Amino acid sequence: MSSANEPLVQIEDPSRRDALRSIALAVTLVAGGQMKLEAAQHVHARARDEKKKTGSYAPKLFNDHEFKTLGRLAELIIPADTVSGSARDAGAPEFIDLLASQNEDLAAVFTGGLSWLDAEMRTRYSVSFVGATAEQQTAMLDSLVEAEQTKRARAALGQTYEASEHYRDFRSYGTYGAPGLGPGVAFFGWMRKMAVDAFYTSEIGIKDVDFRGNATLSEFEVPKAAIDHALKHSPFAG
Amino acid sequence: MPQVRRSPEEHEVVVVGSGAGGGSAIQVLTEKGIKVTLLEAGPMLDPAKEFKEHMWPYDVDHRGAEEGGAAYFGRGKSFGYFTTTSGGWQLEGEPYTVGEGSEFQWFRSRIIGGRTNHYGRMSFRFSDYDFKPYDRDGLGTNWPISYEDIAPYYDKAELFIGVTGTKEGIRSAPDGIFQQAPPPKAHEILIKKACDRLGIPCIPNRRAVITRELNGRPACHYCGQCGRGCLTASNYSSSQVQIFPAMKTGKLKIIDMAMAREVLTDGSGKVVGVSYIDKRTRQEKRVRCRAVILTASACESARILLNSKSKHFPNGLANGSGVVGRFLMDTVGFGLSGQVPALEGLPHYNSDGIGGAHLYMPWWLWDKHNQIGFPRGYHIEIGGGYGMPGIGSFHGQARRFGYGMRLKEGVRREYGTTVGFAGRGEMIPNNHSYCEIDPNVVDKWGIPVLRFHFKWTDYEWKQARHMERTFAEIIETMGGKVTGLSAAEREKEGISVPGTIIHEVGTVRMGNDPRTSAVNGFCQAHEAKNLFVCDGGPFVSNPDKNPTLTINALTWRSCDFLAEEMRKGNV
Repeated sequence: MSSANEPLVQIEDPSRRDALRSIALAVTLVAGGQMKLEAAQHVHARARDEKKKTGSYAPKLFNDHEFKTLGRLAELIIPADTVSGSARDAGAPEFIDLLASQNEDLAAVFTGGLSWLDAEMRTRYSVSFVGATAEQQTAMLDSLVEAEQTKRARAALGQTYEASEHYRDFRSYGTYGAPGLGPGVAFFGWMRKMAVDAFYTSEIGIKDVDFRGNATLSEFEVPKAAIDHALKHSPFAG
Repeated sequence: MPQVRRSPEEHEVVVVGSGAGGGSAIQVLTEKGIKVTLLEAGPMLDPAKEFKEHMWPYDVDHRGAEEGGAAYFGRGKSFGYFTTTSGGWQLEGEPYTVGEGSEFQWFRSRIIGGRTNHYGRMSFRFSDYDFKPYDRDGLGTNWPISYEDIAPYYDKAELFIGVTGTKEGIRSAPDGIFQQAPPPKAHEILIKKACDRLGIPCIPNRRAVITRELNGRPACHYCGQCGRGCLTASNYSSSQVQIFPAMKTGKLKIIDMAMAREVLTDGSGKVVGVSYIDKRTRQEKRVRCRAVILTASACESARILLNSKSKHFPNGLANGSGVVGRFLMDTVGFGLSGQVPALEGLPHYNSDGIGGAHLYMPWWLWDKHNQIGFPRGYHIEIGGGYGMPGIGSFHGQARRFGYGMRLKEGVRREYGTTVGFAGRGEMIPNNHSYCEIDPNVVDKWGIPVLRFHFKWTDYEWKQARHMERTFAEIIETMGGKVTGLSAAEREKEGISVPGTIIHEVGTVRMGNDPRTSAVNGFCQAHEAKNLFVCDGGPFVSNPDKNPTLTINALTWRSCDFLAEEMRKGNV
């Protein structure tokens, strides 16, 4: 079969699929079944390099103002810091635009939500969300998060409006829901969830959390430093 | 009426379905030189084209959320875009119904290899006592076979498939012939310490993964992505480990996209073949053969038998006793997770491993039932480590940490610090849990569909509460805090939805007495010598061991028997 130094995977112009197929083929061809690590890693590196860099993106669903607002929200949700970029850098607006352009329900969540957000900002500050100061923007998001967490804390205790003695007493609704902010809470839930997903499924985000896997190893080992750290900080120390 | 095409060809053995049972039947019979024809309701599997092993989420624009964000609306691929599942809880045009007051979900695959392409690969032997449950607590029914009958076939199956593990000498988890087990991950070392304190055995996991080369299959390369399908076939799936190799023998003929309708009998009541719908042409076709092995999955095989009505078999084939469809069992499931501060700040490492946990906890209270207040037991599966981030990985943190640097830093701090526990326990068969033919509904192929009825009883609920207390104790003993379900939510969601553990078995029960069972200890129908059922159907009980390895072993034993009967001219 093949000698030890012979490269097992030779690819002229591989698509990812072809590359993986070559790995599979190479592996099944090797006597003794030992995979050549360099070969496999080479293929993975090639697949990554071939990922097209996003140049200027033309939104499929949102208008420029909406798209800009999504970008601002994304970088407020996961901001850039000294370690890594923001959710905007990680392609969150493009991710949301792509999926919402394929799904009317999702499109309605975002176009409706963005419009609600601007209307609320105009009521509060006479300015749209992107036109507002950073302090005004974070004040808005803080009030949404507070309303959301109050609502969730009550729900966890079984204190929902529907379960309360005030059910059907519409004057009490404000005590249980988020007065006036309900649509904003729902929209922000979607916005944050998708911005977080876009960030942590990007190369930037995967590097940010320092995920080390998706590799090809010949043996599995756990570093002693990791075990020592866990034991030292656990109730089993000493 | 569609025109029925009769194939003039005479087949030797027809196998219906290609999962663990079908794959094992094909492997064992073709090795003996017996010709097998496989009917599979789905298409051929092409791993090189279909497996998404080693892909990053950003390799696709939707990152795994699927077109239109289907995953966000619960309409995505079951178990995620990157997994290799084919099928799901609902199949287009192939419905099932659920009786009033019941809840049941049925996962079906339609592809060569069936559910073995994506299953969890936990490979546990039943214990000696698992075969005689009635003798121990007066509940359920004994199997007609014992551990000694099946043990040699566990050996064969483990040797052929490859299962990790270590010799432990624990009665609830008999030792097998094992591949070398990988070392425990950092969080698992803490879990084991906690279990040591609590008196719970925590031992190397037994998974159908090879850590050393076996029969030309290369060793695992520790990417942890078994669920995506393994391009190097370093884990067990019937497609890659049994069926593809059998295709090279010239003894296997595969008819894919073939939806079995019924088993055919002649005027004397002898099984003569199988009728199926060719899904590509919607024509009904027939194969004639010497013997039939149903390995379509417990409920699908029951459905085929119940639909095989004739003058001789007015209740359906192999159903003179009326037990076909009865004694439907799933596994009792409950899960709890916790956040463990000792894991914060750990130097990150590649924790992918063999996919799934490297340790597990077998049942430990088999002689303490008078103290725990419920019969039978469960094993515990472990989750944790630095998983590849995907859609939904950090939704919990997103809800708790608001937004901004607090969120970003919160995710960094907590990533990889969560551990999860899943209990997998034994259900007692009951009279309220069964499937039958729905008299009013057919699928798009015109075949009458199943209607499910299901109830958990106090036995299962008590067991689930024991799981909950145990998992909370383990989490707290490690210095962690239970996360996830609130007390209010637990009351509603304190036990798995029936069917969702995908261990449904028992619907074509084996036994010595034809009045109370459908097949004998060799999975051979009492009513037809040349008809076998080799999936979870013949299970008499559903011990706290995932069923696949036992299906492999039972099938091997049945096929040895069938081959011998064919040689003697009895079949």
